[in-house]
Amino acid sequence: MPEIIALSALPRARVGKGAARATRREGRVPAIIYGGNDAPFLISLEPRELKRALARPGFFATLLEVAIDGVRHRVLPREVQLHPVSDAPLHVDFLRVLPESRVRVQVPVSFINHDRSPGLHRGGILNVVRHEIELDAPVEAIPDRIVVDLSGLEIGDSVHISAVALPPGSRPTIRERDFTVASIAASSAVREEAAAAAAAPPPAPEPEAAPSAA
Amino acid sequence: MLSPKKSKYRKAQKGRIHGLAKGGTALNFGAYGLKSLEAGRVTARQIEAARRAITRHIKRAGRVWIRIFPDVPVTKKPAEVRMGSGKGSPEFWICRVKPGRILFELEGVTAEVAREAFLLGAAKLPVGTRFVSRAGEEVAA
Repeated sequence: MPEIIALSALPRARVGKGAARATRREGRVPAIIYGGNDAPFLISLEPRELKRALARPGFFATLLEVAIDGVRHRVLPREVQLHPVSDAPLHVDFLRVLPESRVRVQVPVSFINHDRSPGLHRGGILNVVRHEIELDAPVEAIPDRIVVDLSGLEIGDSVHISAVALPPGSRPTIRERDFTVASIAASSAVREEAAAAAAAPPPAPEPEAAPSAA
Repeated sequence: MLSPKKSKYRKAQKGRIHGLAKGGTALNFGAYGLKSLEAGRVTARQIEAARRAITRHIKRAGRVWIRIFPDVPVTKKPAEVRMGSGKGSPEFWICRVKPGRILFELEGVTAEVAREAFLLGAAKLPVGTRFVSRAGEEVAA
């Protein structure tokens, strides 16, 4: 069971960009809780608490408990709008989750055993094709990350989703193809070395001993 | 240097750069990025200089993505030519950059190396920039 982060929130009354801007002028971040067969609920959050939660890897795969006037709502972050320059949160969408339901979540991928990969050891680059994988998972067992083991991978090898161990109950939403999660690519330095080795002339044969003048 | 393979019109108007970037404001490929904080016209030459500075610092170990493309032609009149007689000839290509735009992305190096590489690359650019990383990436690296 992953960790549940607690956030405190205040209710807000009005919808729309004017009301949202007024909330931001007060130094708070407007947000909404929707879904779960209940009416949408407008709230505002404390920006520092929210930023701390956002800085954690896998924010969108983390269950949150938003406390509003003593009532706790179990939610899953769905979208965070960020300021284009400062990356400060402008608005957050939360999905109210019901126990024993399934959700689609973007789970971050983390890589282990870099030092046990001969390809990386020889100067290859870990080319991360998917930093996050969308999973269909039960609410109570959303993985906080997907671990990919790099042991034994050579330059040119790829890790596909079929080779990744997923937690029980979770399955990728893309099921029609075995998509690539990461690959070990040759760096430009390694490619140049290989090209130079291929272009070099073969070693000259040993010159035969000159016949001695009789 | 980057330049379009072909263009619909040979010459473009100067234009003005207003507002903030609407897209390309988040990291899409790498773990680290260089974000523009100002509006400006970045030339193909400056992009290439920054790219070289970055790749040389990372010693060609990681992978670099360029997230901007110079597709606006800039014309110039020859020296000592009187005004008039039409617009000058295209001289170079620029990219109009708005604040918030990710300029470069980097993967396969540690956070310190990426930060230093972007510092060197940013010195070649005419806009103020900021180092950005994915959530939790800097701690892990």
